[in-house]
Amino acid sequence: MPDAVPAAATTATIALEVNGRVHRLTVRHHWSLLDVLREQLDLTGAKRGCDRGECGACTVLLASRPVYSCQVLALQVGHRPVVTVEGLGESNILDPVQQAFLDNDGAQCGYCTPGFVMSARALLDDNPHPSDDEIRQALAGNLCRCNAYGRIIQSMRAMRDAAR
Amino acid sequence: MTSSTTAATGQSVIRTDLRDKLTGQAKYTADLKLPGMLHALVLRSPHPHANILSVDTQAAARLPGVYAIVTPFDVPPGKVAPDLAILDRRVRFVGDEVAAVAAADLDIARQALSLLEVEYQALPFVLEPEDALKPGAIVIHPEGNPGGNLVGGKPLSLERGSVAEGFAQAELVLEEEYFIPVHSATALEPRAALAAWEGDSLTVWKSSRGVHVDRATLAEALGIPPAKVRVVGPYLGAGFGNKDESRLGALAAVLAQRAGRPVRLEYSRQDEFVAGRTRHAARIRIKAGFKRDGSITAIHTIATLNKGAYLASGPGVARRLGQGSLYLYHCANSKYEAYLVYTNRPTGGSYRALGAPQGHFALETLMDRAAEALGIDPLEFRLKNQVRAEGQPGRRTTPPGQNIDSQPLEGGVPFSSNGLDQCLRLGAQAFGWGEPAEQPADPAKKRGRGMSMMIYRGGPGFASAAEVRIDRSGVISLVCGLMDVGEGATTVLAQMAAQGLGLDSRDIRLIFADSATTPNAPITAGSTATFSTGTAVVQAATSLRGQLLELAADGLEAPVDNLELSGGAVYVKGDPARRMSLAEVVRRAASDVLSASASVNPGSPNHIINSFGAHFAQVEVDTGTGQVRVLRYVAAHDSGRILNPRLALNQVEGGISQMLGFALSEELVTDGPTGITLNGSYLEHKCPTILDYPDIQIIFADVVDPIGPLGAKALGEVPAVGVAPAIANAIYDAIGVRFTRLPITPQRVLEALSLQRSAVSPPTTRSNRGGGLIADG
Repeated sequence: MPDAVPAAATTATIALEVNGRVHRLTVRHHWSLLDVLREQLDLTGAKRGCDRGECGACTVLLASRPVYSCQVLALQVGHRPVVTVEGLGESNILDPVQQAFLDNDGAQCGYCTPGFVMSARALLDDNPHPSDDEIRQALAGNLCRCNAYGRIIQSMRAMRDAAR
Repeated sequence: MTSSTTAATGQSVIRTDLRDKLTGQAKYTADLKLPGMLHALVLRSPHPHANILSVDTQAAARLPGVYAIVTPFDVPPGKVAPDLAILDRRVRFVGDEVAAVAAADLDIARQALSLLEVEYQALPFVLEPEDALKPGAIVIHPEGNPGGNLVGGKPLSLERGSVAEGFAQAELVLEEEYFIPVHSATALEPRAALAAWEGDSLTVWKSSRGVHVDRATLAEALGIPPAKVRVVGPYLGAGFGNKDESRLGALAAVLAQRAGRPVRLEYSRQDEFVAGRTRHAARIRIKAGFKRDGSITAIHTIATLNKGAYLASGPGVARRLGQGSLYLYHCANSKYEAYLVYTNRPTGGSYRALGAPQGHFALETLMDRAAEALGIDPLEFRLKNQVRAEGQPGRRTTPPGQNIDSQPLEGGVPFSSNGLDQCLRLGAQAFGWGEPAEQPADPAKKRGRGMSMMIYRGGPGFASAAEVRIDRSGVISLVCGLMDVGEGATTVLAQMAAQGLGLDSRDIRLIFADSATTPNAPITAGSTATFSTGTAVVQAATSLRGQLLELAADGLEAPVDNLELSGGAVYVKGDPARRMSLAEVVRRAASDVLSASASVNPGSPNHIINSFGAHFAQVEVDTGTGQVRVLRYVAAHDSGRILNPRLALNQVEGGISQMLGFALSEELVTDGPTGITLNGSYLEHKCPTILDYPDIQIIFADVVDPIGPLGAKALGEVPAVGVAPAIANAIYDAIGVRFTRLPITPQRVLEALSLQRSAVSPPTTRSNRGGGLIADG
């Protein structure tokens, strides 16, 4: 938590619903949702890869849609619920997306992984049986510099085929 | 290696850390927070070359919430690398570090940076090696490299046999110049460091590729005893060999000391592109002589590498660039020369396979030309000329008993194993080499097929160590100083330990990457972890197994030879009811913990240990847009025995996909008049996305290396080596243009096609490819 605020900074108090819990927070106007998740709520699953909407490592669900949380001001969120990777699955049970990535080695270094998982979750909520092309399109906004794309596609196919 | 019923290796066990990565629980450096922690930012140079005359910090220091500032005028004098101070009074590229501040939050830190007043004395600057080598050019490191900008004052020069004699025997000589520009590794995790002092003891958590090496570097830079420094490597958001300097950690440490509070410092994405480490640009002139029968009489390669502002791993990169031309083809006469030249560009460093991709691009496209000129199929040409199991002709020069360099010049030394022939044949078969590419209905789209082969160091690296121990409750730990850089080293090393102890690798506790609790270890680099550290792990596990069996033999009243260690227990063969759990066995020992350590100097005194591969690509070139798509890719690799097939598959697929960027889209552009790097972003330095990912098929040759631990050799970097030439050769097959400059962007394709249409010799069909043009656009 910041312990000194520049005089020029303007703050506001907001209620932010994250992973089913409402937090009352004081935020500066220019802070992004990613800033608040990571620095105020200590939810560090969403990663800061570029901070300018290029890489997708900060992807979270906002009212069930995947967004780059670095490109959403905390003030813009309003009453829309936010779900981060920490909010998927239940205590010891993985979300099917996480399970499929686990079974199919859908990651390497893991830095992009929470973002991919959230984009994948959003796709499958919309469309449980996506084609290969739909899978690629839905994940095209997430970069993986290890280029574990082959195993990510495999994870998605496995999930789709299991859902049939 | 054991008669154990558990074969922990050879199985696709799940990555040890994957669950944490999938649930967001895995902590990377920037995810760590300490009470009272401050946030730091770095002021970067707007000049490509300048002396810093002064830094006025007064206004910044007065800002509420600013706790510490460091400038070149008050920084400890130590260095983090031979030519790299923590901060210097000279800056050598746009983006070089000038000063740093630590503040209560990033907003304040940002404001403080804007209040620092720096007086620069601009100096002349050079961006190209050719200019930097001219007489009278400004010298970039007048203290460390006073003679000029050529690193070390002389080129690297290596020769086996005599290229003069080789060219005298040649019936055909081909020569070409290639250019590979700078591109950036730009791992998704920007570099970060968190430093905290407790009295005079320092702890640094950082993006690292070797915590013990970082510890030594930080201690020396800060002028404190190594015993007072602890470096911890949290999860690494990949490095590709690239996160190899410690300026960041040293800056965080100095700021934290001054502030009396922990300090976290993170690079921005642009910092990562510009002030991280790039792949070295290289201009490569290669000349080769051939007999009409297709044999090779001489290969002479001269490379000029753009070092950028600081040395980093430049000499290693320069050396590795030449290894393909020295060793991939059977040839008695080969010479390699390299000029490594300082310039005022971003610093070149290590990036997956160092110089090998540049060198192989030049070599493997020239050899494709040679095959064509000689009227031999490219596959047949490589099958005929590939280096064989016996190695190169010539005499051994390494003294007897001394380990052979896994990147040798000498002939007369055989490989421990060589699966190159198998890679060529299996890959060609899976690909359907020899069948023409099926052309699409759209006449604007041309398909073509190409191939390449590759050679790379096989895993022997620096001295490595490991400890395996078991406590009285029977818990087995693998203790290792190594850093998992995201590739999965911990998983595979756990499998190797488990194999020796008849366990499931998941039952092994992993203690890694903390300089305070682990034995000394080298950096994770050069594809050495599985081979080098793995050799130590296997030895330590074997030794602990021996101790356990000895103890159990007493208790079970059976000879050691008659015992089996499996599933967490020792039992008598053929009488499994006579058994002791591992906990029971340990309790028979005199001490609380049984431990076995091994230190190894990996390698062989009698063999070269190398990995090999052969790649086959099918591309489609849109002659209307210039876009190249890789449709299909087959990669066959000899990395010895594969210890975790699924992780290996992921790594090879990833290496190929990553290098699509090197071949087709990535170039870090520095503006000539200003020295400013223009495209430090993912939008403008285009890395491959999931849309670019082709249909990739991987084949592992059936090779068990007799020296590698459990038969394994190096894998990590190898697939990156041959991607660009396979694609370039396929593009030639498609449109009849030989590209000699990377990346092969749509613009360069369109320019080459336009040149081709206006040229006198138009034929571009496969049957008449000799008329193809050379494009260096």
